[in-house]
Amino acid sequence: MTGEPSAPPEEWTRLHIVTPVLLAGRTAGVFVAVAVAQGGQGGLFAAKNAPPWVALAGILVVIVAVAAIAFGQWWMNQFRVADGAVHQRKGILFRQYRQARLDRLQAVDVVQPLVARVFGFAEVKVDVAGGKASSIRLQYLRVEDAEALRNEIVALAAGLGRAPAGPPATASSPDLAGAARSGEPIPVPAAAPSRDRVPVAAAPQREVYAVPPGRLLGSIVASWWTVTIVGLVLITIVAIVVVGAVRVGKFAGDAVSGGGGIEGFLNGGAYGVLSGLFAFFAVGWARFASGFGFIAAISADGIRLQHGLLDTRRQTVPPGRVQAVRLRQPLPWRHFDWWDITINVAGYQDDEKADTTLLPVGPRRDALYALWLVLPDLGDPDPAGTVSAALSGKGADNGFTATPRRAWLVDPWQWRRRGVLATGRALLIRRGLFARDLVVVPHEKTQSLSIRQGPIQRLLSLATVEVHSTRGSVHPVARHLDLSDAIALLDAQAVRAREARARQSPEQWMATVRR
Amino acid sequence: MPWFEPAGVTWTYASRRLIAARLVVGILPVALLSAAVGALAAFLGAHPAGVAACSLTVIAWWAWVLVRQVTAHGWVERQDDLMVKRGRMFRRVTVVPYGRMQYVEVNAGPVARALGLARVQLHTASPGTDAHLSGVPAEEAARLRDRLTVRGEARLAGL
Repeated sequence: MTGEPSAPPEEWTRLHIVTPVLLAGRTAGVFVAVAVAQGGQGGLFAAKNAPPWVALAGILVVIVAVAAIAFGQWWMNQFRVADGAVHQRKGILFRQYRQARLDRLQAVDVVQPLVARVFGFAEVKVDVAGGKASSIRLQYLRVEDAEALRNEIVALAAGLGRAPAGPPATASSPDLAGAARSGEPIPVPAAAPSRDRVPVAAAPQREVYAVPPGRLLGSIVASWWTVTIVGLVLITIVAIVVVGAVRVGKFAGDAVSGGGGIEGFLNGGAYGVLSGLFAFFAVGWARFASGFGFIAAISADGIRLQHGLLDTRRQTVPPGRVQAVRLRQPLPWRHFDWWDITINVAGYQDDEKADTTLLPVGPRRDALYALWLVLPDLGDPDPAGTVSAALSGKGADNGFTATPRRAWLVDPWQWRRRGVLATGRALLIRRGLFARDLVVVPHEKTQSLSIRQGPIQRLLSLATVEVHSTRGSVHPVARHLDLSDAIALLDAQAVRAREARARQSPEQWMATVRR
Repeated sequence: MPWFEPAGVTWTYASRRLIAARLVVGILPVALLSAAVGALAAFLGAHPAGVAACSLTVIAWWAWVLVRQVTAHGWVERQDDLMVKRGRMFRRVTVVPYGRMQYVEVNAGPVARALGLARVQLHTASPGTDAHLSGVPAEEAARLRDRLTVRGEARLAGL
C-alpha cells in the first residue's frame, strides 16, 4: 500500500484482504452447519418457547463477531522486507513479532492449497534455521505477488540487492517477458492493479528431471504397502467364502436363523474389505497427489522443486542448504531400478513430508542427477561409479569400509550391505539388504559426531558411528563397524568436517560473483 | 581392543559429589519401590530378613551402577572441539566442534545447587547431539560456558 508502485515492501504491508475468507471459509462453514443443525433440533440457541428469530439473531451475532475478529486479525497481520530480514507482526490480544534473517534463509516455498489456487492466491513460506515455529507464513497473497515476493527474498538473500536483475527468463506472465525482451521498461501490469508489486524476475532455471504420472502411479502400486493390503483383502475374501460355505452347509436345514447369520457375517466381512480398500486409496492418493507433476530444476537461486495435483507447492532451496540426502529403493522397485530421495533442510520439519522429497520416484539416472543438484562436486574421480557401487554394491567394493563378517550375530541381514565411504566432499553410508538405502552427508554439514558401543558390540569389537544432522527424516548412522575402523572414521571425519567448514561457500551465495 | 582413547588428551572427570547428588535424588523412588516389593513379599509369606537382604542388595547394586556411571563421565576441551564421554555398559563419546555450537545452557536443580554442582548442556543445530556435562562444579561451569561461547563465536560457521 505504498504510493510508489515499484517499491518493495520496506514499509509494513498487509496481506490480501481475501485472506480471512480463505482461512476461515472451512471453519465458518462447519460452524454455521453445526449452528443450523443445533437450532433445528432446538438445542443450542432455541430455548423451549422462544420464537425462531431469536435463534437466527444469535447465529447472526456470532457470525458478525467471528467476521470482526477475522478482520481484526487480518488488519494486525503485517509484514515487511527490510534490514536484511523478513519481519512479520500479528495478533490482536497477544502480539507476536517474528523476524527471519535473510542470511539464515534455508528455503522459500510458494504453497497453493486447492481453494486458494482456484481463486489465484498463494502462501509464501519463509524457512530459516531454528525451532519448530521459526518459519514465517504469509497467507495469502495473489499468486503473482507471492512469486514476486519469493524472487525478491531470494535475490536479497543471495546478496544481489534490491534492483530487479536481468530479463525475466521465467516470468509468470508471457506479455511481461515479451516487453522485457523488446527492451521496453517493464510496465505495471494493468490487469493486476490490486497490489503494488512489479514482478521481480526469477533467475533463469533449467529443468533437470520430471516424474511422469504413469511412473508415479506404478511406484505406488509396486510397493510393500500395496502387497500387504491386497494380501489382507484377499485373505479376508477367502475367509468369508470358506466360513460362509461351511455355515451354509451346516445350517442348510434351518432357513430362518442360518440365512440371517450368514448374511450378517458376509456384510461384516464386506465392510472390512471396503475399509481396507478405502485406506489403500487414501494413502495411495495422498502420495500421488503430492508427487504429481514433480519437476526439479536448477537455477542461480539453487534447487527449484514444483509438484502437487490439487495443492501445489513451488520450493526454492538455495545452494548449500541441503544438510543430508537419503536415497532409498524398496524391494518391489528393484526390478525397475527406481529410487526415491529425501533431504534434510534446516528450516523444514520432519513431519512435513511434502517438503522434504527431492525425488518421489525415478530411475537411477534421475537419482544421480538429484544427488548432483545437492552436491555438484562429490570430490571423487569417478562419481557415477562410486555412487552406483554405493547404491547396489556390497562388501568392500569401490573402497567402502565394510562391516566385518562377525557382525552377523547382531545384524543377520544387513551386515553384507553396511559400509561407509568418505569422498573428498561427502560421507556415504550404505545399508539395507532388501530395501536398499544410502545416506550422503556433505562434510561441511556435519554438526557433531559420536561413537557408541553396547555390551554385545563390545564382545565382538564393533562400534557404531553417528553423524548428527539437522532435524529431519534422514539420520546418518553407520552401525557395527570394526572398532578400529570406527575410531579411525570418527577422527578422520572430525578433521574433514573442520576443513570443509573452513572453505564452505558463503551464506550469500551470489555476493562473491557480484562484487 | 581398547576403547576410543585419543592420544595426548587428559580427561576432566565429573565431580564425585555428583554421586551424592544422584543418590539423594534417586534414593527415594528406589527405596519406596523396594519397600513396596518387600511388603508384598512379606505379605506373601517371605522371611523378613530375606526381604530386607534383597532390598539392600538391590539398593547396593543400584548405587554401584551409579558410581560406575559417574566415574565414567568425563570431557576434554581440545583445540577445535569438545569431547564428552559417558557410560560403561553402553559407552559413548560425542565430539562437538566449537563452530557448531548454537548456544550453551547451564542449569542446576536444588540438590545439585546445594552440592555446588551444575550441568552444562551444549546445543547444535542437530537434535541428535547428546552432549551435556553433568557434575561440573558451579564456578567451573560458568567459566566453561564463557569459554565455550567465546570459542564458538570465533569459529561459528553457517549451517
